[in-house]
Amino acid sequence: MTTAAGQTASGREPGANRPPVLELNGITKSFGPLVAVDNLSLVIGPNEVVGLLGENGAGKSTLLKILTGVHQPDKGSITVNGKKVTLRNPQEANAAGIGIVHQEQSLFTNLSVAENIVMGLSKQGARSTRFGLYRWGQVNRDAAAILARIGSRIDPRTKMSDLSFAHRQMVEIGRTIEIARETTRALDASDADHGTPLVILDEPTSVLERNETEILEREIRKLKDVGSVIFVSHRLEEVLRICDRLVVMRHGRLVADRPVGNITEDELFELMIGQGARSQAPASAKADAPAKAVLTVDSLSRRHTFHDVSFTVFQGRVTAIVGTVGSGREDVCRAIFGAEAFDGGTITVDGAPVRGWSVRKAIAAGIGYLPSERGVESVVGGLSAARNLTLTYPDKARAGALLSPALRNRLANLWFERLDVRPRDIGLELERFSGGNQQKVALAKWLIAGDLKVLILDHPLRGLDPGASAAVNELIREACRGGAAFILLADTLEEALDLGDEILVMRDGCVTARFDMAREHPTSLDLLEKMV
Amino acid sequence: MKFGGIRSIRPEKLRILLAPLAIFLCLLVVVSVAVPQFLHGGGPSIIAQQATPILLIALAQCVVLQVSSIDLSNASMALLCAILSAETLGPLGIASPCLCVGVVTLIGMLNGAVLTFTQIPSFALTLGTLGILQAACLVITGANVVYVTSHLELVSWLFHVQILTLPIAFWLSVLCAVLLWAFIRFTATGQGLMAIGFNERASILSGLPVRRLKITAFGLSGFLAGLAGLSVIAISGAASSYGLGSDLLVPGIAAALAGGTAITGGVCNPINVVFGALFVALIPVGSAAIGVSTQAQSIVYGAVLIVAVAATASRSRTGIIK
Repeated sequence: MTTAAGQTASGREPGANRPPVLELNGITKSFGPLVAVDNLSLVIGPNEVVGLLGENGAGKSTLLKILTGVHQPDKGSITVNGKKVTLRNPQEANAAGIGIVHQEQSLFTNLSVAENIVMGLSKQGARSTRFGLYRWGQVNRDAAAILARIGSRIDPRTKMSDLSFAHRQMVEIGRTIEIARETTRALDASDADHGTPLVILDEPTSVLERNETEILEREIRKLKDVGSVIFVSHRLEEVLRICDRLVVMRHGRLVADRPVGNITEDELFELMIGQGARSQAPASAKADAPAKAVLTVDSLSRRHTFHDVSFTVFQGRVTAIVGTVGSGREDVCRAIFGAEAFDGGTITVDGAPVRGWSVRKAIAAGIGYLPSERGVESVVGGLSAARNLTLTYPDKARAGALLSPALRNRLANLWFERLDVRPRDIGLELERFSGGNQQKVALAKWLIAGDLKVLILDHPLRGLDPGASAAVNELIREACRGGAAFILLADTLEEALDLGDEILVMRDGCVTARFDMAREHPTSLDLLEKMV
Repeated sequence: MKFGGIRSIRPEKLRILLAPLAIFLCLLVVVSVAVPQFLHGGGPSIIAQQATPILLIALAQCVVLQVSSIDLSNASMALLCAILSAETLGPLGIASPCLCVGVVTLIGMLNGAVLTFTQIPSFALTLGTLGILQAACLVITGANVVYVTSHLELVSWLFHVQILTLPIAFWLSVLCAVLLWAFIRFTATGQGLMAIGFNERASILSGLPVRRLKITAFGLSGFLAGLAGLSVIAISGAASSYGLGSDLLVPGIAAALAGGTAITGGVCNPINVVFGALFVALIPVGSAAIGVSTQAQSIVYGAVLIVAVAATASRSRTGIIK
């Protein structure tokens, strides 16, 4: 937002005589033989939004940890607002003017929404206590106002642990935006030059639906007036839209540093993974021959959650279910997998209706499930990648009554090659792999079965970089050709339209529309209409 | 990220693997230097004898710790087994040890069943079981000492026969540790126990039979506690609520922790627990040999324990320690 005189709304001259917000020189960081960040130099000027891109494993999180004082670089210097600094811990980073909103949430789950938002907000914080006691009315009102600003109607008294992942993410965004606005107000109000703050947003949009992203974009633009932003995201079109400049990391090095200008998504993709443009989705060459029905859901209901849901999943086909937060689609899938109860309707697998359903019975019947929150529900972090791979179907790596390390390792190496999991260390604990690589292993865990009937994918591409996403998409297509059936809960409508053979739209627990992709060609708008 | 190419063992892993052995050797050296005739005068044999019941209880505990629970009642299960054996060895002969170990194994499985079906935290549940079993022991013995009337030779040979100057019972308990190690690493059940300890929700959603696995863990705890009880009878030929074998709980937990078992679950190396049990047994024996007073022994005990747990805790995993 600039006035006619070229000054920003805060009344300061843009850029020109102020030192760069951040100057990194020759930053290097290694962990044993792994060089995570390799001689990286970068300058970020005042009032810039810089997009930071790179595949999982490229070194982005290590770089961010160095900027926020969690790690110290082995070599190189950091200069913030013209002063050389050593950031020994996050408090020192904050004091130097660097703040971060994390991808993995850093909220207190045992406290309420209002408490989480108000903590760390000095102005609200000052109003929140009187003689050391919390003024709950004031606290809740302030929190509700902050949430309303981002279009959220979450009750501020709700405990964080009762909220879904997406709602928690909204609270995190609300909090960051409020911190940003506070910084904006403080700098506007004072004459002294405190130095420009740097706000790092680490994949803030990976769980947001489209309208929520727009709110964030607005706030980022306002933030730009008084500070600089580093915006980390895998959504390439979003990065091109929001950022002024792009910086791409690969294998720990900076491989590109350019203004947004004329770059296309495909060029970006190539810069990130160093290969040719991503393959277009092949025109659906599925045969019109009637496919076998593997799973039928009939009038499935659970009080307050979903109602009268019916659909059939066919061999070799992908059934995509789209809907906003609260549509009930995740609960339907978990009920099919036996992880949650249902109190009405039937599930029929291979012609036989199920009785007394449970996770183990579902798996025995050939159903698999890839949860959306992989850290909590999918990845057994302390076990090696190879053991995680053979966790559900240990018979694939068994010799008689005992598990065979040789068979297990052979299987793991095979899948590591197939999915290009990095690093190629099957004995490494899975928690040490980056998110995208963890997801590949989690997916492979189900695919080693070979005779899986239906695999339910709950937001499978969440947090995955474009390279990993492409690999997973290809895997899904290949498995379909081999006869597997999928139920897909996609992150974006594009994903659903790309992969789905049938698309179901859910809203408030009911199915509001059905599209057969072989005969109809709905657009995102058509789907959106039925979702909201 | 560039990758060095060589799969080196992380230094932290190496430290955790070797620390218990290193600490034990250090302590042994200290004692041998202070008391030169310790090594040849039967010192190691005494340590091995003391360590046997501690080791078995520690193994019992580490199986339960691995699934992120704790069993406060396994030491009293050992005592109950000892008391029942003392009462029944005479009349029943060889059937007695089998029966008694069977009884406490069942009690252990019952612990596990109640835990999984009622979701009472294991700390609280096993505290309750502990109370019940202690009372049972008092009632059965009438607060007296129970002596084995006959057939003691069926079990006492375990401590009379020696291999390499150490009682065979000790070697058998080491064998138990090795079998447990292999069980955890090479069976699907063992793998399941590891998985539950690290991430129970993911284990449930990966189709592991979590209920069955927890009952197995507690059942194993009972079984090993039963073996510990047998070793008590074998050593002393008698059992009582206040005598040998009545205070194995804390040494057992200490030995398990000093052997690198994480209190948060998932990690359990039975081989290292052997060394943990050895130096937990060494401290009172060595201190007495050196001439340290019993009061001061507690200080040594506590200090060594802190050092041992510090050396074997995996800080890179847990990050924040409570």
